[in-house]
Amino acid sequence: MNWKHVRLLIWKEFLQLRRDPILLALLLILPVLQLVMLGYVVGADVKHLSTAVVDLDRTVTSRRLAESFASSGYYDITQRPAKESDLRPLLDRGDVKVALVIPEGTESRVSAGEAAPVGIVVDGSDSRTASVGSGYASQLIAVFNAKRIAEQGISIAGPGIDARVRVEYNPSLRAVNSMVPSLLATILLLTMSSVMSQAVVGERERGTLELMFVTPISRGEYLVGKLTPYILIGVVQMSLTALVGRTWFGVPFHGQLWVAVLGLFLFMLTTVALGLFISLVSHTRQQAQQVVIFIMLPFFVLSGFIFPVASMPTVLQVVTYAIPLRYAIEILRGTFIQGAGARELIWQLLALAGFSVVMLTLALFSFHKRLSD
Amino acid sequence: MAPSTAELAIDARRLCRRFGDVQAVDGVDLRVRPGGVFGLLGPDGAGKSTLIRMLATVLTPNSGDALIFGDSVVHAHRRITPRIGYMSQRFSMYLDLSVSENLEFFARIRGVPAALRRARSASLLESMELAEFSDRQAQFLSGGMKQKLMLASTLMHEPDLLLLDEPTTGVDPLSRLEFWRIIADLRAAEKTILVATPYMDEAERCTDIAFMDAGHIPHTGTPAEVKSLVPGTLFEVAAPDPRAALAAVCSASGVTSAHLYGDVVRVLSAPGGPDARELLTHMNAVGIHATDVQPADVDMEAAFAYLAEQAGDAA
Repeated sequence: MNWKHVRLLIWKEFLQLRRDPILLALLLILPVLQLVMLGYVVGADVKHLSTAVVDLDRTVTSRRLAESFASSGYYDITQRPAKESDLRPLLDRGDVKVALVIPEGTESRVSAGEAAPVGIVVDGSDSRTASVGSGYASQLIAVFNAKRIAEQGISIAGPGIDARVRVEYNPSLRAVNSMVPSLLATILLLTMSSVMSQAVVGERERGTLELMFVTPISRGEYLVGKLTPYILIGVVQMSLTALVGRTWFGVPFHGQLWVAVLGLFLFMLTTVALGLFISLVSHTRQQAQQVVIFIMLPFFVLSGFIFPVASMPTVLQVVTYAIPLRYAIEILRGTFIQGAGARELIWQLLALAGFSVVMLTLALFSFHKRLSD
Repeated sequence: MAPSTAELAIDARRLCRRFGDVQAVDGVDLRVRPGGVFGLLGPDGAGKSTLIRMLATVLTPNSGDALIFGDSVVHAHRRITPRIGYMSQRFSMYLDLSVSENLEFFARIRGVPAALRRARSASLLESMELAEFSDRQAQFLSGGMKQKLMLASTLMHEPDLLLLDEPTTGVDPLSRLEFWRIIADLRAAEKTILVATPYMDEAERCTDIAFMDAGHIPHTGTPAEVKSLVPGTLFEVAAPDPRAALAAVCSASGVTSAHLYGDVVRVLSAPGGPDARELLTHMNAVGIHATDVQPADVDMEAAFAYLAEQAGDAA
């Protein structure tokens, strides 16, 4: 390996990148925009759900319960129908997404220390609104109960209850916190593999690869010279998106930093090597791009990025072990949210290290220095 | 007397290369002495590019071998590449790099020292009249300038053997002339040049030529030698209806071959075959009017037409 050759190839690659502002934007600016946009989409707060309250009890307690819904910020009480049968048309028309039904005798039951059932009706046509809407409601009621108990002087409400409720309170915050770290890896995969897939096949199409074969450049030097600039750009991209994720979305980080950095780096190496491999075995740039698109879908679906791996059929769960993105997401979610470190994530790190070595080796072997076609 | 292997610039033996079902190069023997301009002539698809790519070590032969200055393209390509300059048929410099950056890159990769790089690129750009475009990106050069840039790039490491694959195809006539002037200068500088071309008129500028057709090289020699392979006399027949005239002369006895050449018919008469007057008489007899029949010099076009036909008949 002649490092003068490698340095020269890297110099050439950067010279070309500088002449291609669109490609640079694709690698450095677009990922940040994507992170911001997708971060809002996947982690959006479900707030201000239009709500109907049917208060059949008409007591202080029932009014306070309705008030606690209104003041939470998640429910806007827009309708107050007199009877339960008026709810149906409101839900049918989509005027309200949630309805709270407080039956007659609620206050007296509560005062008597009996269980007082209240009805919560949720529009299930949008599963996300439904789950969030019902989830908030049950938590609100739990808080309401706790307050009542505290007010009545039956002091079983210890100091910890309020805080625990607060964390549980905000599932939307939880979504951002788990989606942004996954997005760091997903965006890296999207951009780096598709750009890298064009790198060698482009030179093959333009004939400059053939010219390279009448120079003293070896195939190892050529591959290192091709990979290095993109690895450097990948590091910059990772740093940018991680910084934006931390500052813009305020995503907390609880784990070991070096584990997250190492995990992301190994994943980036795998991604770049995968793109390089595709570029080496493809005959045209278009073909390479199609292969990348073909590979992306199973990556997204089977990585646990959108659908939890645990809820997949057993056969597909086995397949997910072959998806590098799965390990990257586990490492990032683990370090960001669960405060995990090397001890917990050692297998994921080793898996990614294995993937990167295998992909790089594949790339090297698939690269015939002397063209056979 | 045949020169020994070590004295030859190119010594190809039974070189073969197949692409799928197509035998692109089919057992080619080729000997090229150092110095001089060796023209590789043949129509599109004759196998010229495939042969040159094998000689340039970018394509591995299926069988046979070729020695470049005594080194095998199959076993010793690392010793060969520093001594050759290969210019592919397609423009293959980096389009987004400038003229000088392309020269710099390919010279540095071949280990040309900085001082020499500067001196050579300056003098090459000067002699090829590219100096004022040295900062222009390659994609914004004209066709002729692109070809000159490629040639300049292959000359930066001062190779002994130049393998030029159709350097003048798709280039305007003026640039073609200029390109051949540069090739003449290189020959004066004692380089060996193998140049592939589909243009028969360019063959006259070569010291030696080889005809290539359907993967074979049936004949090599100086232009005069190759032309002397054509027996008999060549006539050009002018007629209002050249196609009818072509059909008519083909039926005459003693005519080896006949072709349309522009708007005249070229007729090759075998030794002892019909002369101009007899041809005219024959055509009148079959009711075809010819305005003129003139003897013509055998040129490369005629020689190639004849030799390709012979090769086809032999196969």
